[in-house]
Amino acid sequence: MNPRMEQLQLQTRRTFLQHGGLGVGAMALTSLMTTGQAEAAKDVVHNPLAPREPHFAAKAKRIIYLHLTGSPPHLDLYDYKPELVRLNGQDAPKSFIEGKRFAFTTGTPKLLGTPRQFAQHGQGGVWLSDAIPHLHGVADEMCVIRSMFTEQFNHAPAELLLYTGSPRSGRPSLGAWATYGLGSENENLPGFVVLISSGVQPNGGKNSFGAGFLPSVFQGVQCRSKGDPVLYSSDPPGMDRELRRWSLDALRDLNTIQAEELGHPETLTRIAQYELAFRMQTSVPEVMDITRESQAVLDAYGAQPGQASFANNCLLARRLAEQGVRYVQLFDWGWDFHGTGAGEDIRDGLTKKCATMDKPVAALINDLRDRGMLDETLIICSGEFGRTPFREGRTAAGSVLGRDHFPDCYSIWLAGGGVKGGFTHGESDELGFSIARDKVHVHDLQATILHLLGFDHTRLVHRFQGRDYRLTDVHGNVVREVVS
Amino acid sequence: MRATKRREICHWLASIATILCCSSATDAAEAPLRFAEQVQPILSEFCFQCHGPDSQARQADLRLDVREHALRTEQPVIAPGNSADSELIRRIVSDDPEQQMPPPKLKRALNEKQIATLRQWIDEGAEWGQHWAYDPIRKPRVSASSFGTLVRHPIDVFLGQRLEREGLTFSELAPKSTWLRRVTLDLTGLPPSRDDGVSFEADANPDAADRSVDRLLASAAYGERFVWDWLDAARYADSNGYQGDAERTMWPWRDWAVRAWNADMPFDQFTVWQLAGDLAPQASDEQRLATGFCRNHMINGEGGRIPAENRVDYVMDMTETMGTVWLGLTLNCCRCHDHKFDPLKQRDYYGLASFFNNTPVDGGGGDPQTRPNLETPSEEQQRQLRAAKEEITRAAAGLDELERRHFPRGEGQTAADASMAQGAPGAILEILKSAPANRDRGQLEKLNKQFAERSELNEYGPALLVLKSALERRDGVARAIPRVMIMEEMPQPREMHVLFKGLYDKPTEKVETSVPQQLAAFQAEWPKQRWGLAQWLVSAEQPLTARVIVNRFWSQLFGVGIVKTSEDFGVQGEMPQHPQLLDWLASSFRQSGWDVKRLFRQMSLSHAYAQSSRVSPELTDRDPENRWLARGPRGRLPAWMLRDQALALAGMLSRPIGGPPVKPYQPLGIWEETTFGNKRYEQDHGENLYRRSVYTFWRRIIGPPIFFDSASRQTCTVKQSRTNTPLHALLTLNDVTYIEAARGLADRMLNEVSSGVDARIDQLFQTVLLRSPTTEEREVLTSAFRRMQGEFSADTESAVKLIRMGEWPQADRGDAAEFAAWIVVCNSILNLDEVLCKE
Repeated sequence: MNPRMEQLQLQTRRTFLQHGGLGVGAMALTSLMTTGQAEAAKDVVHNPLAPREPHFAAKAKRIIYLHLTGSPPHLDLYDYKPELVRLNGQDAPKSFIEGKRFAFTTGTPKLLGTPRQFAQHGQGGVWLSDAIPHLHGVADEMCVIRSMFTEQFNHAPAELLLYTGSPRSGRPSLGAWATYGLGSENENLPGFVVLISSGVQPNGGKNSFGAGFLPSVFQGVQCRSKGDPVLYSSDPPGMDRELRRWSLDALRDLNTIQAEELGHPETLTRIAQYELAFRMQTSVPEVMDITRESQAVLDAYGAQPGQASFANNCLLARRLAEQGVRYVQLFDWGWDFHGTGAGEDIRDGLTKKCATMDKPVAALINDLRDRGMLDETLIICSGEFGRTPFREGRTAAGSVLGRDHFPDCYSIWLAGGGVKGGFTHGESDELGFSIARDKVHVHDLQATILHLLGFDHTRLVHRFQGRDYRLTDVHGNVVREVVS
Repeated sequence: MRATKRREICHWLASIATILCCSSATDAAEAPLRFAEQVQPILSEFCFQCHGPDSQARQADLRLDVREHALRTEQPVIAPGNSADSELIRRIVSDDPEQQMPPPKLKRALNEKQIATLRQWIDEGAEWGQHWAYDPIRKPRVSASSFGTLVRHPIDVFLGQRLEREGLTFSELAPKSTWLRRVTLDLTGLPPSRDDGVSFEADANPDAADRSVDRLLASAAYGERFVWDWLDAARYADSNGYQGDAERTMWPWRDWAVRAWNADMPFDQFTVWQLAGDLAPQASDEQRLATGFCRNHMINGEGGRIPAENRVDYVMDMTETMGTVWLGLTLNCCRCHDHKFDPLKQRDYYGLASFFNNTPVDGGGGDPQTRPNLETPSEEQQRQLRAAKEEITRAAAGLDELERRHFPRGEGQTAADASMAQGAPGAILEILKSAPANRDRGQLEKLNKQFAERSELNEYGPALLVLKSALERRDGVARAIPRVMIMEEMPQPREMHVLFKGLYDKPTEKVETSVPQQLAAFQAEWPKQRWGLAQWLVSAEQPLTARVIVNRFWSQLFGVGIVKTSEDFGVQGEMPQHPQLLDWLASSFRQSGWDVKRLFRQMSLSHAYAQSSRVSPELTDRDPENRWLARGPRGRLPAWMLRDQALALAGMLSRPIGGPPVKPYQPLGIWEETTFGNKRYEQDHGENLYRRSVYTFWRRIIGPPIFFDSASRQTCTVKQSRTNTPLHALLTLNDVTYIEAARGLADRMLNEVSSGVDARIDQLFQTVLLRSPTTEEREVLTSAFRRMQGEFSADTESAVKLIRMGEWPQADRGDAAEFAAWIVVCNSILNLDEVLCKE
């Protein structure tokens, strides 16, 4: 007899239920990773979210990705260009813009030097502007990359490229790859959680946190701030936990009879899934309940229970990370600083928007460090591209200062698990139009993130429609300089 | 008890007078290796990446995908008959990292068995053959099988031969009720009624099963069931996709597809109409409507998008959809480079894309009814339109008469020449020059303003407004008419170029409109247009289409295709598990005139389909995916079918066919969260809450969350995903749809059975599963019911809350606690594995 079946049959119903893992009819998983790991992959078939070892020792066990949707003006936050300030208001040099295409700018735009004050912070001397004062205090945890580039200059395709490696929809997202590769550390919670603030989903839609062609168990589960934190997780009105428990007891007993009668392993998996669903109904609202935090913690983040704010989500990210969730993805809408309204002005508008971001993010870094989790948690903070060193064409004549989308050169930062703190990588040219040294493409960023999780990005693959797909498509190089 | 009953072997399935004849099956264990099945997959997996069709990636000028190159005599790499003397083997087994193949840095190494296979193949003379799927389809002869009464059909003969080789045999027939539920769900997407079950059980005629299948195939539900998978393939949705995601009106095309399935339109015609109906001689509206298939792609209306880039995206999407749906080939690789594994060139891709390159669509804007489109007014709208036109004619005639009275003029003159018009501005005179019937609403309004104060014209103003409001009514009707985007050929075709890396603005060499001729010849009499392409796809020589299609239909009944990679029949796809069966099905499908219903009839009446799905641990281990079919097919129903089943069992399903999409229950905020708050989900009420799932509005960027595991409908999808996660359990346990259905089911049962917990549980099982519960099952539910009834009796407020969930009218049930407890029992029953699955 098959030892696995034998074992299952020996177990009593109840002990099975306690130990039964997440199952999935996913033979697809046998293609997890390349040759040599086929045996390990077999175990995965019946529990796709069981924790798994990566290719080599990981620097980070989990990821918190802070996405500032719309893309913040990096030249007013991280990349100080005094020469651009000097030439403020002059025509952008022809040589810089010839043959380029911008989303909302045509003709010769006017250069826009930052109106913000910049200074170097921390031991590492990281340049930061006055828009993000709270981040000054954690500058030595930050690893700023000032030489990022992408090919996409519209939100949705740029976001898809960043998260799925392709500007077209249909590929698995970074979080899906991470959980596909590593599984989850908490069997009562989804392995990949998405938190959205400012009421707007990412531009790439659900594809930005989708499973693509990976089994859907790896897709990001959006925990919502209104309604059920996870869709359909509330018991129907009039049905309390005890009643639900009884109904699940009956269901489990009947399904067990069925499994004994017809012998389908899938029936046993189904029993386990229903039990997990029951546990999630309790564990998800618990982890999502920030009233369980002390007032001091709430104050540090600027979190207010009941809101759908970025501050609340930063705190939730820490709570989820603490519970072993592998990948937490935050999306915060409102960073598309075109200058089409006062809120999109890089002076007061940016100050206001940053006030909702820099305090909770600094608190998150400090909190993780205080709890000894920062070393093994990788934080990434970025938009989907950068913003132009010149004024956006449509708003150039107005009084509001805004910048257009800019894919050629921009800045992001990382912190925590496996990256150098107080470190700056790469450099833009004097005016911020192009990369002066150490170019980092989004595929390189992806390769680096996977590297920090312990994966060779060329080997974390999935066979689909006749070829092995991977996050980095056919590109990507690990940026070793930022790895600690 | 139930077990005993299930083990009764009953021969209820009619034995078909099969064409069993000829030679007996010989075991082929000692046969020489078959190149396409055993050798080529190894070469493809390990060698083609650098020594395959892609000329850019090719190393050392060596190809192993083409016979002439692999067996070259200058600097030979393979010495037929002598593996020891073959460079290929020497390199594979080499320890020297400089020599070893594949190079160690690729981290891909052959295992011992694979190396042994290559050695054996070379030692046997290195016989070459082409990839199996490109070989012509030849109908295999059906030979006798040793399974006697278990063989009902040629399908069983082919499957039986494989089982025999494995030392296995078919299982006994499933109980009649199990088969009836299985086949009813598979062919109609709905559960059988209890009456169906009772009469089938009582029908001892040998053709009872045949007649059941005929009844199911003839029901309108059949088309609604199979169109779902077709909509996935056709990436059908009710909105554009991308950021704006504007609503479109492609649903008349969806309704056409349902009708075509129900009318059993031959599949070759179904193919030709959808790809090229507009190019048929004297194309009818129906033929043009069918081409909506091609236009179901996403439309990108984002600001800053380049129209030319969009247009190329749409052409590529149409090309790749055609490639996946009919050819089972992953053409998308060839956008940017020659295919790494299949003998398709980048030129072939653009040759095929050229067929779709000649519509007037320019890619600009995000109009969800971008021309060319077809107006598809309903009968009511046609009537309203006729009425409005008559009204316009009457009003215009009345106005004309009045104008002739008040604006008298001479022969050949217009109202502008009348004395009444003297002094009016030029713009007014221009309007007066035209006949009243030719004036638009704005012009009528201007005349009204101009002459309103002339007391002698007091009848004139009202007459103008009568015509204006008649025009408004007509425009209102016209606006509401759905417009389906369709195909149309421009008189002057666009030139097609290979695009460097698939970039729209990097055209390189020019290509002709063409097909990959190595698959099948393109007849000289066919036009180099979509019409010709469609003819080529369904031509007698085409090796792929029939195989790809029957394989997909097979997977819809049996769960997995004969070729598991139903989306990829190329070299990297899986070899068919039963090559002869696939070819037999494909050729008989083609010979039958591409008769789809006949094909489903054959499959569903085979023993392989009708057998019990019970499985031993040993068999689970040997054949976990049930590829050999030593047991019957089993699997979880797709989410949409679960919903339809629940509604049908509850007696709530509303059955009108077709029409605009509906908006049943959906958790609050789903659309709003995704669309910047721009799209509000206005849930329907009444009957529209209970329509079949296929009519649910499909917003492309956020599909209905109730249909978990569904294709996203963003690009063509031909393979369904079936996962098993706790999130699905939460949905079928807690969503209002399922709670309300449980109420309907409970209500129905309480109406049918006046008393007795046992009798009521029996009735529920008979209704849902067409069988009685076992004693043990009855006990579990009885005690659960009593416990819950007790709980609800102590808290009737909760009972009432549960009963009130959903908008279905409330039945007057005196005892709320009892009713609520039955609802919970029904909720559990609807979540039984046996109910979630086709057993």
